[in-house]
Amino acid sequence: MKQEIIDKLKAIVGEENIRTDPADRYIYGSDSSVHVANADVVLRPRTTEQVQAIARLANAEKIPIIPRGAGSGMSGHAVPIDGGIVLDMKRMNKILEIRPEDTLVKVQPGVVDDDLNRALKPYGFMFPPAPASSRIATIGGEIANNASGIRSVKYGATRDSVLGMKVVLANGDLVNLGANTRVEASGYQLDRLMVGSEGTLGIIVEATLKLVPIPKYRCIGIAKFDKLEEAGEAICDVISSGAQPSMLELMDNIAITAVNNTLDMGLPDVEAILLFEADGMVKEAVDFEMERIKAICEKHNGFGIEMSYDAKERARIYAGRKKLFASLSRYKEGYACTSLADDMAVPYSKMAETARKIHDVADKNNIIMTAYGHCGSGVMHTKILMDPTKKEQWEDARRAVEEIYDYVRSIGGTTSAEHGIALSKAPSWKKEKADQLDLMRAVKKAFDPNNILNPHKLMDAPDDWVTATKLRYPVEK
Amino acid sequence: MVTKYIDSWKDELNICIRCAYCFAGCPIFKELGWEVDGARGKVELAYGLLMGEFEPSQYIADKLFQCTFCKDCIEQCSANVSVPDIVTAIRSDLFEAGYTYPGGEKLLADIKETGNIFGEKLKPPEYTEEKQVLLGCRLLERKEDSTRYLELLKKLGVEPKTFDETCCGMPFAVLGDKKGFAEQQDKFRESLPNKDEELICVCTTCIFFIQKKYPDLKATYVIDVILEKLRNYTGEIKKLGKKVTYHDPCNVARGMDMVDEPREILDMIGVELVEMPTKGKQAECCGGGGGLLATDNPLAEKLAEKRMKQALDIGVDTLVTLCPTCEFNIGNVSKKNGGKLEVKNLLDLIYEAVV
Repeated sequence: MKQEIIDKLKAIVGEENIRTDPADRYIYGSDSSVHVANADVVLRPRTTEQVQAIARLANAEKIPIIPRGAGSGMSGHAVPIDGGIVLDMKRMNKILEIRPEDTLVKVQPGVVDDDLNRALKPYGFMFPPAPASSRIATIGGEIANNASGIRSVKYGATRDSVLGMKVVLANGDLVNLGANTRVEASGYQLDRLMVGSEGTLGIIVEATLKLVPIPKYRCIGIAKFDKLEEAGEAICDVISSGAQPSMLELMDNIAITAVNNTLDMGLPDVEAILLFEADGMVKEAVDFEMERIKAICEKHNGFGIEMSYDAKERARIYAGRKKLFASLSRYKEGYACTSLADDMAVPYSKMAETARKIHDVADKNNIIMTAYGHCGSGVMHTKILMDPTKKEQWEDARRAVEEIYDYVRSIGGTTSAEHGIALSKAPSWKKEKADQLDLMRAVKKAFDPNNILNPHKLMDAPDDWVTATKLRYPVEK
Repeated sequence: MVTKYIDSWKDELNICIRCAYCFAGCPIFKELGWEVDGARGKVELAYGLLMGEFEPSQYIADKLFQCTFCKDCIEQCSANVSVPDIVTAIRSDLFEAGYTYPGGEKLLADIKETGNIFGEKLKPPEYTEEKQVLLGCRLLERKEDSTRYLELLKKLGVEPKTFDETCCGMPFAVLGDKKGFAEQQDKFRESLPNKDEELICVCTTCIFFIQKKYPDLKATYVIDVILEKLRNYTGEIKKLGKKVTYHDPCNVARGMDMVDEPREILDMIGVELVEMPTKGKQAECCGGGGGLLATDNPLAEKLAEKRMKQALDIGVDTLVTLCPTCEFNIGNVSKKNGGKLEVKNLLDLIYEAVV
């Protein structure tokens, strides 16, 4: 990047909020995906006006801008494929207004999910999406990715909790999208369009979020299954019965073994575990839901069922699931957990079949894959465990990713449930959305005619994710 | 740069999935805010240097030496990636490539010359009884306090034997001086009156480090010894009636999994404990570890100031801890800020209640 541009950017954010060292450019070019590409410059804006000024300059000079929250995305969302400006939004982290009377909160994008929920607790409210990364995930990142988590079965994804937002457009204009009200009937719902747009349409500088009351009672349960299919049938039955779990999670045997290997948690050596939870303001209502779910699990040969309201017990029962993602890296020596084919949504009735299919594809392609996820919402997660230093393993992974998503589409599922598309899921997603890609490109052009906002993501991502960027692993030549 | 030490951590660097969960409690990240300052950033720096993604520089060395080894990153990491070990390895490579610190260099030179971090030949109070007791550099400098702690042990039925101590070598290890550490390890072993007998360690840093780096020694922590004695003590234990907060030292809570024991002792001696917002394994670091006091003192003091304010905010005027470095760092900052917070070692309170 030309020194003249760097100097102008420095004048906008101040010397202490700009970094051009190669080490910073590398670090800000990586996230929790397999991708890495160096940024040219990293900026930490503190105000909306600074974001606007940066956008104006970048738009005039046609320099990419990549907004970044915690950089915890698994598909390469914040990886600056063409370099450019990485906009670290973590310093814009003020909770601007808590309005319990309107059940809403206004925040800057860098507010961390857990920090927000800690601030809301005294008011008796919560912001419910609850991704596993809530301890570090920023609200801006959650909106851009439409994140969700364990409680999406009851409370929905981020999209369901966003009322409105302020967004800086590619040309530096500031727009107010959505409303401060629970409902807004007409016109194009551009705020909704922003959610899940992965930083390609605008830079979120403020969000108005809908709150829900913190439930007074919360009970968690665990059921073991000797057959994965039976756990899958139980999931389908729980949801179709009309039961209202606030969490319904599946862990397969690979996930169980990984957690036991890493954390010595003593999870039972069975084919599958279901974790379920109900919450509410009235204990009898929670009891009713829990008993209903328990009976369904038993009907499908679930056994060893434990249920508890006690906070410590709940934490113990849930600990294995909470720590699963990174634990997968310890499943087998020499193997690492790569964020590939990490996320999909499938119809409830296909949950068990999908889990089996994932294992079959893994066996066929010399890799290991696990099946787990927020199955109550139809979310299935997996990861590819492989030796990331071996070139042939990347070919194996490429085939596996393609086969998994071909299958997902064939059963009426979708490529991403909550982890997003960005780079590594884009080839499959583009197949799924083939009839809409031109429309999406037209929308992108309307918002960002110079294609400066997080370019080459989603519909514009390269067709081969393996070569889309340098891989973050030391792959042998 | 030759990367012989970090090379053995290559697999571990691949195990890290870069999820960033280690941002959550990293004191350096929370203070400075750039990703390079956080635990994941340090892992990425190590990886980048190993793979030649960028060249070593003083800036990178500065960032890698800004770590307190508080171990919160390990606590947050579901894959149990030991970031402090990775940081130690890459610091060693940087050290051998010539990246050192004026403060760090002086510290290591002082230890080489005198066996003590203060650059003075310090002798412990003379006790010639039965059990070997290692006071550690910081307590050697506090002779009156050390005498009280040794008297406390005597009162509880442990007859101490002090000796001409030399540093356990921790500063060499954390600052990346592998050769210096090997030499100091030999000196430390030689200084022990009996390598096969129990060695009671009073300093939290020494005990954590010795248990890790000298697995052949029978090192025990003074608090384990005292707690066992107190549980069976038939003499009078005065109820002190004070109101204090307790600061969990990183090496004690996260390093040795000791959270309840100090609180049990506070309860035994009738002290009202008011907890700070972060405690136990989630307790925030005082900033004194990892050599930061030597390599970036202003940053170490900023972190101590945060902890001091947390204590004052909950309405106490006394902070009790176990680590002499925490005591020094928070105590020093408190003095600079008008001395509103008194910082005491738990051993002083036990002494007051028992002796």
